[in-house]
Amino acid sequence: MNEFLEFKGVSKRFGSNQAVTDVSLQIRKGEVFSLLGPSGCGKTTMLRLAAGFERPDTGRVLLDGEDITDLPPEKRKLNTIFQSYALFPHMTVRENIAFGLRVAKRPKSEIDDEVDRMLRLIRMADQAAKKPDLLSGGQKQRVAIARALVNRPRVLLLDEPLAALDLKLRQRMLIELDMIHDEVGITFLYVTHDQGEAMGLSDRIAVMDSGRIEQVGTPVEIYEAPRTSFVAAFIGDTNFLEGEVTGLEDTEYSRLEIAGVPDIVCFNDKAIGPGQPVFLSIRPEKIHISRDKPEAARLRNMLPAVVEDVIYLGSTTKYWVRAGEIRIQILRQHSRFFLDEKPIRWNDEVWVWWHGDDGFMLERYREVDEDLLAVPPRKVGESDGGNGR
Amino acid sequence: MKAGARKRAAEWLASGPSLLWLCLFFLVPTLLVFVLAFRPATPFGGIGAGWTLANIRRLADPAMLTVARRTLEISLATTFICLVLAVPVGYTLARISAKWRNFFLMLVIIPFWTNFLIRVFAWKTLLHPEGPIKQVLVFLGLVPSGASLLYRPEAVVLVSVYAFLPFTILPIYAAAEKFDFRLMEAARDLGARPFAAFRKVFLPGIRRGLVTAVLFVFIPALGSYIIPDIVGGPGGEMIGNKIAQRVFVDRNLPLASALSVVLILSVLAPLVAILFLQRRGEGPEIL
Amino acid sequence: MRRSRLPIWITVGAMVFFYLPIAILVVNSFNASRFGTGWQGFSLRWYAQLLHEPEIWLAARNSLLIAVGATALSVVLGTAAAFALHRFGRSRLQRFHYALVYMPLVVPEILMGISLLMAFAATGVGLGLGTIFLAHVTFCVSFVAMTVLARLQDFDDAVVEAARDLGAGWRVTFRRVVLPMIAPGIAAGALLAFTLSIDDFVITFFVAGPGSTTLPIRIYSMIKFGSPPLINALSSILLLVTFTAVILSQRISSPRR
Repeated sequence: MNEFLEFKGVSKRFGSNQAVTDVSLQIRKGEVFSLLGPSGCGKTTMLRLAAGFERPDTGRVLLDGEDITDLPPEKRKLNTIFQSYALFPHMTVRENIAFGLRVAKRPKSEIDDEVDRMLRLIRMADQAAKKPDLLSGGQKQRVAIARALVNRPRVLLLDEPLAALDLKLRQRMLIELDMIHDEVGITFLYVTHDQGEAMGLSDRIAVMDSGRIEQVGTPVEIYEAPRTSFVAAFIGDTNFLEGEVTGLEDTEYSRLEIAGVPDIVCFNDKAIGPGQPVFLSIRPEKIHISRDKPEAARLRNMLPAVVEDVIYLGSTTKYWVRAGEIRIQILRQHSRFFLDEKPIRWNDEVWVWWHGDDGFMLERYREVDEDLLAVPPRKVGESDGGNGR
Repeated sequence: MKAGARKRAAEWLASGPSLLWLCLFFLVPTLLVFVLAFRPATPFGGIGAGWTLANIRRLADPAMLTVARRTLEISLATTFICLVLAVPVGYTLARISAKWRNFFLMLVIIPFWTNFLIRVFAWKTLLHPEGPIKQVLVFLGLVPSGASLLYRPEAVVLVSVYAFLPFTILPIYAAAEKFDFRLMEAARDLGARPFAAFRKVFLPGIRRGLVTAVLFVFIPALGSYIIPDIVGGPGGEMIGNKIAQRVFVDRNLPLASALSVVLILSVLAPLVAILFLQRRGEGPEIL
Repeated sequence: MRRSRLPIWITVGAMVFFYLPIAILVVNSFNASRFGTGWQGFSLRWYAQLLHEPEIWLAARNSLLIAVGATALSVVLGTAAAFALHRFGRSRLQRFHYALVYMPLVVPEILMGISLLMAFAATGVGLGLGTIFLAHVTFCVSFVAMTVLARLQDFDDAVVEAARDLGAGWRVTFRRVVLPMIAPGIAAGALLAFTLSIDDFVITFFVAGPGSTTLPIRIYSMIKFGSPPLINALSSILLLVTFTAVILSQRISSPRR
């Protein structure tokens, strides 16, 4: 039983907008837990429910077994890092950090010691007398972190803390956050729409959409074993092929027909029976491409195809191929470079293949948002092919 | 709904004092003016009983109409000249560097803080028949030496422009500062000549500032008292002076009220027009 | 891209236009001549004469008293109004409130003057310093409210949440966080109210009655019936005071970066 921060069936609506619907989560002590999803999915609302700025319409919030749902924010032992940092502009760095301790009426010597400790942690001891308007974005963020951590909260709530920073700074701060977490050992609840941040930092991730949890799992689970088409599409790139289950290959695999191509094999962990419509989702890096026909093997799906697009990216190349009515995206890494190897070019005839284990079937219970799929623009005058979107 | 009731109580608590004060000392007196316009005057400066339209009928006197017309003309002329001057100034201020900009803005704002009477009086000295400006103009042969620069409507317009120009510059500057000047470059790139770009891109772009500027000149100009009183003379009297005369000279409060009603309505007219256009989504949102 | 120099010339011209009359006034205050038509030598006699005008000192004292009192009351009323408009801005009450606060800013002073005069006359309230005080508060409230409201709209509400998040209740948050952050705005509003009150002529003229005088009323009667050089000297002094006040106000109100 190491649930530390727990949401039990919480719902929250704002006017006509149902922000969160019946969400339950258990966050373990000391872990970095991320809420990941597009804007409007309800992740920030969840954070505010934890902090106490919103009260849930239904459900309870528990911290270390204690029900805190009715406590106002100033009485909860949680602290928030705001997206805009919200530093007090009329106070120095030192006074900002000391604020929580002063409100708690701790003795002055104790406050000074703790603040100094924090200043050393964020490496800003020499800026302690500055006011926030003189600090850079990264510095403001560190002060915000110190201001929260100095109170030794049970959980640190982070609301898209890196959103306002530029790319290089974001990468640096991500590493710093990781380091701080290792040093301090506090539970993090991290909200973001950036999957890179979530995947890189978290022990576990909850993917949210439209107020509901789509899936909770480790980064590897989310990536390699998505349970819904939303998760598969939102995280990383993937191919979405529409088809139908035609039969069983054996106990663990099913046979699918995709856009007229029969006998495609796929690992079936979702108990989807014959006759049911599915998405077959395969990540582009799991598909192989070459001019020569590969050997047939059990559970290996092979298709002849024509290359429609090639995008060379240096360490990798993206290919778009068409096999009959199906359009497939392939990502190939160049682990070795052969000077005399003839590169695959437009309109070449190739073979693509992948192992049945590497695809996953997803129920077609909802349409996948077009923006989440990396589909190349249709050529002028071309009609809808029939697979994906 | 405990939270809702508490919120409403807090709202009343915070708004109460100012609402009460303004209703008592602004709203009610204004309504009183409307009421008194329909009451007769007593010979000794009091307010009689009963209702009458006599004051309203007096408004149609030729003398009154002349003053009304003059007030309108002076206000329109002042507004026009102020706009013509303020637009280039606001344009310039928005484009120069921040250091110079603050300096010039300070220069524009400082006269606003000095006493209004003093500034009008300074012009009275300047426009004096033996004053420097007259001497220069006579020297240049632009005016005959017997003419008077003071005590005429033109003097009122000149001093009014002087007084209200800062209030025109500031809103236009504020709008110009938010204007994306790259739009002008885009217009030039598409073939527009500089003045055409100015007319077709810049001016519509600062529409909101222009409307605010017009309001900040036209309405105070309509209600001018000090300027026509000090430099206008009998030939430059405006409706404000007439109102004061009815109060202090004739002691005819109801007639003064009737005149005031005219002024109130002419002030409300542009405001209501803007509100109406705003409601329909056409006008700029400045209220 | 060749830019027309015309706007710049007009701007410079406008600056000259603004300051020429004032400059001439100040210069003439040191002019020994009575009539200001020709320079007759440098002299401080008009300043000296000012010191011996008791009526002017009385008027100045009245102006100061009223200004201080009106500023104090209008700051309280205006700040409360600004809070109400900011916090509860959507409701119908606040929309009426906003219109009511906005009106004194746009109506010509003569309308306010005459309506207050009518009101005092109708209720039999004697005109004097008291009625002047009431009138001044009325128009100052609007200016203070708008100034503070503008500051409040720039206020980052997340800061208030941060304070609560760190353990501060409403009282402590208000005292330690909100008040210090809006203090510059309130100070700016107070300075504005003070200046408007000291300077006001038209409204004061209507509600002053025969007995009481303020500095602007004194200046007006001097303009109508008095000696020009004295007015020049008095004006120069007032200009100096105002100039200092403006510099001070720029220092107090923190400029937005």
